[in-house]
Amino acid sequence: MRSTSREFARPNRFIAMGIAIVIVFTGLTVRLWDLQVVSGGHYRDLAEQNRMLRLPVEAERGTIVDRNGKVLARNLPGFAVTVIPVDLPRAQQADLAQRLGPLVARDPAAVSGAIDVQRARNPYEPVKISLRPVARDTALLLSERSELFPGVRVEAESIRFYADAVLYSPLLGYVGPVTEGEFQSLRDQGYLQTDLIGRTGLELQYEQYLRGQYGWREIERDAAQREIKQLAYSAPTTGNSVVLTIDDRLQKLIEAELKKGVDEDKFTQAVGIAMNPQNGEILAMYSNPGYDNNWFINGITPEQMGQLNGDDRHPLVNKAIGDIYPPGSTFKLVTGLSALSEGIANRNTIVNVTSNVLTVDGYSFYDWRAHGTLDFVNGFAHSSDIYFYTLGGGNPNTGRAGVGPEAIYKYGSDLGFGSKTGIDLPGEASGIMPSPEWKLKTLDEQWTIGNTYHESIGQGFVAVTPLQLLNAYSIVANGGTFYQPHLLKQVVGPQGDVVFTQQPKVVRKVGITQDNLTLLRESARRVVTIGHAYMPNAKLPIAGKTGTAEFGSSVGKDSAGRNKLGFHNWFVSFLPKGDNTQPTADIAMVIFTFDSSRSLCENCFNPAVGMTQRILEAYKLGTP
Amino acid sequence: MSVKAIEMRRSASPLHDRPHARRLDQVDPYLLIATLLLIGYGLVMTYAVTVESRTLTGDPMQFVIRGALWAAIGVAVMVAVAMFDYAWLGTFAPLLYLLMLGLLGIVLVIGTSSLGAQRAVNFGGLTFQFSEVAKVLMIVVLAKFLADRIDKIGSPVTIVGGLVLLGPAVFLVYRQPDLGTSLVFVAIFFGMAFMAGARLWQLVGMLALTGAAFPLIWSILKPYQQARLTAFLDPYADPQGAGWNIIQSLIAVGSGGPTGKGLTAGTQSPLGYLPIAESDFVFAGLAEDLGFMGAVILFAVYILLLVAALRIAFRAKDPFGMLLASGVVAMLVFQILVNVGMAISLMPVTGIPLPFISHGGSSLVSICFALGVLQSIAIRRPGPELG
Repeated sequence: MRSTSREFARPNRFIAMGIAIVIVFTGLTVRLWDLQVVSGGHYRDLAEQNRMLRLPVEAERGTIVDRNGKVLARNLPGFAVTVIPVDLPRAQQADLAQRLGPLVARDPAAVSGAIDVQRARNPYEPVKISLRPVARDTALLLSERSELFPGVRVEAESIRFYADAVLYSPLLGYVGPVTEGEFQSLRDQGYLQTDLIGRTGLELQYEQYLRGQYGWREIERDAAQREIKQLAYSAPTTGNSVVLTIDDRLQKLIEAELKKGVDEDKFTQAVGIAMNPQNGEILAMYSNPGYDNNWFINGITPEQMGQLNGDDRHPLVNKAIGDIYPPGSTFKLVTGLSALSEGIANRNTIVNVTSNVLTVDGYSFYDWRAHGTLDFVNGFAHSSDIYFYTLGGGNPNTGRAGVGPEAIYKYGSDLGFGSKTGIDLPGEASGIMPSPEWKLKTLDEQWTIGNTYHESIGQGFVAVTPLQLLNAYSIVANGGTFYQPHLLKQVVGPQGDVVFTQQPKVVRKVGITQDNLTLLRESARRVVTIGHAYMPNAKLPIAGKTGTAEFGSSVGKDSAGRNKLGFHNWFVSFLPKGDNTQPTADIAMVIFTFDSSRSLCENCFNPAVGMTQRILEAYKLGTP
Repeated sequence: MSVKAIEMRRSASPLHDRPHARRLDQVDPYLLIATLLLIGYGLVMTYAVTVESRTLTGDPMQFVIRGALWAAIGVAVMVAVAMFDYAWLGTFAPLLYLLMLGLLGIVLVIGTSSLGAQRAVNFGGLTFQFSEVAKVLMIVVLAKFLADRIDKIGSPVTIVGGLVLLGPAVFLVYRQPDLGTSLVFVAIFFGMAFMAGARLWQLVGMLALTGAAFPLIWSILKPYQQARLTAFLDPYADPQGAGWNIIQSLIAVGSGGPTGKGLTAGTQSPLGYLPIAESDFVFAGLAEDLGFMGAVILFAVYILLLVAALRIAFRAKDPFGMLLASGVVAMLVFQILVNVGMAISLMPVTGIPLPFISHGGSSLVSICFALGVLQSIAIRRPGPELG
């Protein structure tokens, strides 16, 4: 067996094998050098990224409270479902979407789509899959069967909750998820894709205050996405609380009266606003119909959306600021102020209303009765239309001059008609303060004396928001200062520190002489004392002005089965201090009922008057 | 088998031509040192990968204890095998061939499934990877076959005959399915045929034929195997799916840097980002903990081992010994290349253990057996006194 011939061991082959070994190890070493020495830092970062995950820690949104600290909007604990795309193998995504979709009440395709979008954007960041808070059972299922739901996380979240939802929805609005489109611009401001943002109302207006600042925590996790330990934590900052000027007690008193009227079909819509004339603070703002803003928080159903959209009264619109109406006789304040200020009229200006109709150029302009001889105070108090036709447009039959539409436009604009008051709420309407120039531009027609007559008694082209009307009377009530109406009183930090205090903001001083102020205030008080605005057993010296505007048929029923009544009723009032000689008032209020019946109140024609008396007496004196 | 070897350790062998005591000075010291160093390195890595694992449940030390036990058995087997004249293996080659096919057949019949493949047999609470044993047996069988025909090595009949021997084993292993190990068999064959002096055009021709048949081979591959090959070419095409292992392994290796994060200080392996971190991807864990330095040290010891083995082959007294040693070298080089290459994305993902470093008794004991054979060859080489 021992061979001296060793031909079988071929040196060349051994050399080749040796070279092969050298090549193998050289290749491996070169590659390792490249990976470890050249690119080591890059891969070290990737390993850290693997291991560590920085998760946002949600910050509580600030609460919204009334002036006395009564909470109107707060947060409840809930659960949200998110997916981190990098933790979800692409091959399993379709399966997961199928399983997860029904649990979060979403179409699986939508779930998968949301994950795709996030995967393209930043797969390490969670994307919120649940549009509404998920039930505790679902949250538990997802946590316990995590092997069935790769990449899925259940996170605690806080859910916005509105205590008196329908009552305050016109004011507060609601929050909603940031949309894909908005997120592009919002991410730089620190918003997350899972964030909520104020959509309407004060939630939108004061988003900057209410929004908290996210904290974060850095966790170490294993390949199965289990959290191994927390590496770092930065606490979130709760958003600031917004203190409103609203007085919940007054708000509820107004609601009690107006909601009852709507519920009993005495009128179909109603607005009540109360304001402190001395600084522009809104004490109450009520608009009926409202809506349940919690619907939007929990994910509004198609049925609910249909209900809101199908209501021709537009419940989503805050009627106090968002829609415009003819002011009716309440506008005689503007006509009167114009005539007084321009020297066309004074306290003793007499108009003999011997007939209930004034005929000019063959057209008839009616009053509601033949009043007889009226001076300014009684003309205003009895709400004589012919008295104010004469002040506004004059009487061509006798050659008597009126103050004219330009002057009415000037004083009306000074009192804030035709432009936004600038209240801190989105969706305010401007209204219409017409003038001959306006008519020419808008309708391409010349202004007529009939236009002046109609405007003089608040009919025709002039259209106002309830807030504008209240604001105008507040200016007279406080002695001539236009304070910007506002709802924000204070912003309070999470520790109770005052971040911001809203100061009264003067828009302008309206030039009204002391005499004319006294005269207008006296006239407004006379409206009540002579019983035109009838207040039985009046306990407060309320001054004000009624208004009624007929706007349509008062026969039959509307599409929702409500009685068609055909009248708007206004009562805009203020509560003078003492004997009404000082140009100051505690509170000003407007009550507006839409589509109300002339016959609701046999003695006074106007349901707003009685409601105003009851509300103000209950508020100022306490309910007996 | 190994137990039996230990029992027979002290008994005399009838074919043993000289007392072994006089042969101890012929033991190849380089091979021995390299072997012991690698066994030690492997134990350290088993410790590092398992002890600090934050995903492992149960007593982590059990892996280290089991590894040490296997190492002891391996050394014992090596010593015992070295005592015997390797000519015995040639004598029993036909039987060993049948034994090999039997073992591979048993795996298919009663093997336990793990990760979708039937590769191991559970017996008495222990898990045996028979294909590891089969690789060494295949080397013996091919060495015997080629050595007997060393004068007719240029004949196509010889090469085809070797392929006929190889075929059933490759097929059985592939059926487990274990594509990687079946490729090890092929590599062993090519390595041995080359060292035996087969004509180069025949070897190159076979490789070319394999290349030409690639579309056919592709079509019989299982979808996951196809996915691995695709992922190898572009791991980022599906970073959460088929490319995941490759990317995570690259991250582990790269993040180790020049000197590593320190033993047990790695994060990729303990946090479970490296699948099968104690075996298939053990190199990635090693490179993460010990860095470029640790890898180069490992390579140096491997080279020492391989060169020593090649020297033994070159100095073997007969073609059988030369081919046995060559087969072992081919097997080790191929496994190192594929396993390390896989961790650094030079090779597709396959489940081939890294010699000595991957945790696994069957692999370690099989290699020790093979190295025992090498020592036996070294001991029985023609001494200088024989001129």
